[in-house]
Amino acid sequence: MVIGRGLTLESPVGAASGTFGYGFEAERMGNLAGLGAIFTKGTTIEPRPGNAPPRIAEVPAGMLNSIGLQNPGVEVVATEYAPRWRGWAAKVIVNVAGSTIEDYVRVCRRLDRVPEVAGIELNISCPNIAHGLDLGVDPRAAAACTRAVRAVTEKAVIVKLTPNVTDIAEIGRAVQDGGADAVSAVNTYLGMKWSRARGKPVLPGTGTAGLSGPAIKPLAMAAVARLVAALTIPVIGIGGIASTDDARDFLELGARAIQIGTANFYLPGLAASCAAELRQDGGAA
Amino acid sequence: MSPFQLPESDLSRARDEAATCIGVDELGPNLHLLTLEAATASRAALPGEFAQLQVEPGPLLRRPFSFCDLDPGRGTVSFYLRVYGEGTRRLAHLTPGSTVRLLGPLGRGFSLPETRASSLLVAGGVGAAPFPHLATQLLARGERVHWLNGAAGSDQLFPLRRMPGGLAGSVQVTDDGSSGRRGLVTDALPELLGGVDRVYACGPNPMLQAVSEMAARLRPEALVEVSIEAPMGCGFGTCLGCSIPLRFRGAPVPGLCCRQGPVLGADQVDWEALRRQPAHLE
Repeated sequence: MVIGRGLTLESPVGAASGTFGYGFEAERMGNLAGLGAIFTKGTTIEPRPGNAPPRIAEVPAGMLNSIGLQNPGVEVVATEYAPRWRGWAAKVIVNVAGSTIEDYVRVCRRLDRVPEVAGIELNISCPNIAHGLDLGVDPRAAAACTRAVRAVTEKAVIVKLTPNVTDIAEIGRAVQDGGADAVSAVNTYLGMKWSRARGKPVLPGTGTAGLSGPAIKPLAMAAVARLVAALTIPVIGIGGIASTDDARDFLELGARAIQIGTANFYLPGLAASCAAELRQDGGAA
Repeated sequence: MSPFQLPESDLSRARDEAATCIGVDELGPNLHLLTLEAATASRAALPGEFAQLQVEPGPLLRRPFSFCDLDPGRGTVSFYLRVYGEGTRRLAHLTPGSTVRLLGPLGRGFSLPETRASSLLVAGGVGAAPFPHLATQLLARGERVHWLNGAAGSDQLFPLRRMPGGLAGSVQVTDDGSSGRRGLVTDALPELLGGVDRVYACGPNPMLQAVSEMAARLRPEALVEVSIEAPMGCGFGTCLGCSIPLRFRGAPVPGLCCRQGPVLGADQVDWEALRRQPAHLE
């Protein structure tokens, strides 16, 4: 399926950022077969150590995470990781995160020179790092970030949207106008788990974290429906997909492709089997 | 920063297989030995490696358990578990014939000596879990194996009869003195360290720190390996939930319990930082 700007996926099934590392664990475990795309861990200009534990908590039909963008930095990704992606059938799309628009521009400018990088997914919506500028909730800031990145790369640019806004379609239209080739939706919902034993949230800091897993699928489908109706660029559906039927739901709704996220943690073979089953559907993708 | 300078687990041996429950033996209050038919894992798992078990219906994420004992001939594996939450409760109540998804083996296990050695295995509570398999492997190589087993009370001690025969020695300690000697494993440790080449320990993280520090002081020539705990999501390095503070050539480095561990050299762990971390997924 065509995502845009020369990016075509062999399968509509992708693995979501933050649930698949940079693909090497799945490669070792034999779980890459048939995937259309891998969306890497959020990558920043400098290495980041991530947040202090605990970083994850379990909630009904889902989990909370507050990893804090642990990643080795774009230089390691470009020079050490990218060569290892050569020969993979799955397209590797690097998820890019930052604190300022200039951060995003610097990372994307570096990635633009890396042939193994098939595209860029802009993470303007990570709920787990504190910074003054929350690009993903302000249509003008979201558009400005997209436009700034668009100016420094020829690669396909997919903007990953946060659902923690009043009108996700407004943000979607803004990044479409800013030059995005596609949007992916949704990132995690803001959530919290309380520890009555300790009289405070389970996760540290403010206690808020990103909620993912089957719990969010109905919410994500509603968000994707609004985006499909509002946009002309492709929408990549994400949110609680834990079976091939879940993936079919998003595709029938109008998503061009889908990403499997949290389920990769407890069903590591799901993405590959989902890709194989959708291929058998023929046409459904 | 290259993120992982320490050796990582070999994920190429991990398989996701449908395991069948053979039975669950209650060994103490909230303490159970779960036996599963899992032919692939029974032939592959090395001492100290673990499996991620998933029971349906049950929690979303799988739960990690060290392989306790293996029977490759019968194709079975066992896990010693303490009921801690919903996932462990469901595993403890499995009925024979029901199925569980088993992903494993995962993690880095204990290193086995290259030359003839005398080993001391130190267990705290449910931390006895990996030692039947380790002891079996060490004894099969002709090693001398001593067993130091501690728990809160007699009903929480891993039964000696579940350990392989041929141990060179066995000491049991309980916090309340209800079985064996009264005290902590560290009270009995000094006299057992003499002549030991290797110390293998598994139990609560504070116990592991105490054992490591005591062994370094009293028996510095011994190699000390510990199996530590951290809240784990996936078990194979992608969720980044089980971040643990490690040391590499003296400098602090981030690590993952599931990839660089769960078994680590005592000198690879930043114990003071680990003290501030939770051990279980909540």
